[in-house]
Amino acid sequence: MLNGFIDKLIGKNKSKDIAKKRLQFALIYDKLDISEEILGNLQQDIIEVVSRYFIIDKKSLTLDIQRERNFSALVVNTPIIKAVRREVGKKATA
Amino acid sequence: MNGKTIVITSGKGGVGKSTATANIGAALAMEGNRVAVIDMDIGLRNLDVLLGLENRIVYTIVDAAKGRCKIKQAAIKDKKIDNLFLIPASQSDNKDVLTTEEITNLCEKLRKEFDFILLDCPAGIEKGFQNSVAAADEAVVICTPEVSSVRDADRVIGLLYARSITPKLVVNRIVPEMVERGDMLSHEDVVDILSIDLIGLVPMDEQVVISTNTGVPLVTQKDSKAGEALRRIAYRLNGQPDLPIEVPTVKKSFWKTKINFRFGGKK
Repeated sequence: MLNGFIDKLIGKNKSKDIAKKRLQFALIYDKLDISEEILGNLQQDIIEVVSRYFIIDKKSLTLDIQRERNFSALVVNTPIIKAVRREVGKKATA
Repeated sequence: MNGKTIVITSGKGGVGKSTATANIGAALAMEGNRVAVIDMDIGLRNLDVLLGLENRIVYTIVDAAKGRCKIKQAAIKDKKIDNLFLIPASQSDNKDVLTTEEITNLCEKLRKEFDFILLDCPAGIEKGFQNSVAAADEAVVICTPEVSSVRDADRVIGLLYARSITPKLVVNRIVPEMVERGDMLSHEDVVDILSIDLIGLVPMDEQVVISTNTGVPLVTQKDSKAGEALRRIAYRLNGQPDLPIEVPTVKKSFWKTKINFRFGGKK
């Protein structure tokens, strides 16, 4: 009990918070059958595609999977700095 | 009579399925219902031991389902609790010996004889699980506040939904002291992750081991915390769905409170 209090004072992570976070991620990966590595690759690819059209803050782009009982949603969030100017009819390049 | 068939399941083994089945079954019978508890764990039977009926087995669920004996012959009457019957698993058969059809047919017959049929599901999600779920109208998922148990519970809940069963959750073996200091998932955390309705919270209780030792269900004793929680789950299944769910809390002794106060511990 006293240890718990001291841990709180020095801001030590509660093990149940770690458990909860691990569980939430494990369930997402279980359900979608994808690994963290694949998610990382997806993030890179999304950055690449979006960058053809917008100049974005690549470091602030977040990729999140929100899980509901019946579906999972892929949520990509990124601040847009400005649009990439390109000539009409010409294929966009990265 | 048109009884209700309820499967008690968990995915992970060793989280308290059989203990819950034995106690909820006993409590329902003590309320005056005719109850059959069925051990679906063929090859690894244990429900008989929890009820202290291990020496009385002649016929098993395999005999009853395959028509080798009458249901009445396979259903062992409990020694102390009226209206409680056990249909034991067979110990010698292969776990895939029964077909889904045989189980559902058996449960259809049992429905006419009993108010409640509780199926003690084996661990895992193979044939024994599939059979138990196919025969059930309702499901109770047992999980403990641990990562592995919650993960397996999530898997099982998904499989139950796929069969149009909306399960209810029991969080078992809660240690309030650990929850309080943040070293155990709280029931709120578990519900948050699994997003299903609760039907009971059961604290960790040494009495469970003692009751297993003696083969007398906990719900028959007045002073057990886990027994009380399990009894209340039975009441909820038996027409009192809104009976409040009590959250296990830390019981502080006079001296402990004093000491904590002196050293500035929390609360």
